[in-house]
Amino acid sequence: MRAEALKGHLDGLLLATLEDGPLHGYAVKEALREVTGGRIDLPTGTVYPALHRLEGAGLISGAWGVANGRRRRTYRLTEAGHAALSGERAGWQEFATAVTFALKARPWPATP
Amino acid sequence: MAGHPLITAQLDVLAARLPAPAAEELADGLRETYEHRLGECGDPDRAARTAIADFGDADVITAAFLRQSPQRRVALTLLAGGPVMAVLWGTALLTAHAPAWPVPLAGRLLFGGALAATVALLLMTVRERHSYRRSRAMTAGALASLIALDVLMSVTAAVAGPVPAWPAVLAVTASTLRVLLVLRVLPAVLAR
Repeated sequence: MRAEALKGHLDGLLLATLEDGPLHGYAVKEALREVTGGRIDLPTGTVYPALHRLEGAGLISGAWGVANGRRRRTYRLTEAGHAALSGERAGWQEFATAVTFALKARPWPATP
Repeated sequence: MAGHPLITAQLDVLAARLPAPAAEELADGLRETYEHRLGECGDPDRAARTAIADFGDADVITAAFLRQSPQRRVALTLLAGGPVMAVLWGTALLTAHAPAWPVPLAGRLLFGGALAATVALLLMTVRERHSYRRSRAMTAGALASLIALDVLMSVTAAVAGPVPAWPAVLAVTASTLRVLLVLRVLPAVLAR
């Protein structure tokens, strides 16, 4: 799936990957790839600016630690992030329902 | 696990463009990507090339960080407020007969040049796509220049102008507010 197709939904997807616990940038990317069966496989480097934006918005919080001898920053959902994720879910379900109805195949009109 | 020259070179590019904490975080991500690819294929050269391709282009990553940088937000805010400041100061100077003030031509030209350079720096900050550090330096220069220009203009209006009229009071108040705004955001712009 192309990155442009995710426009407007990336924040919700990233928040969802952090719902089960803290993850670092690469693990967020991998979690998103795995949960979508490989359909959403973002370039790893582009995940980090998005995480920084979410942190700036107060939806996630980052903390430095050490893993494999390297300094590593992990992120967790904040209370505001949990609330934003719920909002994203509700909005998506409403949108998906509307689009599903709109695109539903209709029978050909009967010929007189 | 040992690194790879291609990975090191890519990290050097990112480190030269981005703040140290962001570069360090990206370094962890790229090394992690490389180690996973190496575990899959066992060939260091192939793993490094694949990891860099998976990680994304340095230009794209830098541009994404710059789009959400505090300096870009400040530059956009100041540029958006520019026309309002121009109207306020234009009205104040015309009603106070500023062309007749005893200010030497060289001083007027210097002020105009500094103002044009400040606006140019703000515009370049907004358009910068390749270097976070250059963007931060340009914004810092523009903010320092803007403070100096606002203070100089306010003092000149108070000293050289006639009895203060309401347009001048409005313009000086607006400049004071802008100086306070700039001082408030300056630490975030200068932060590493």
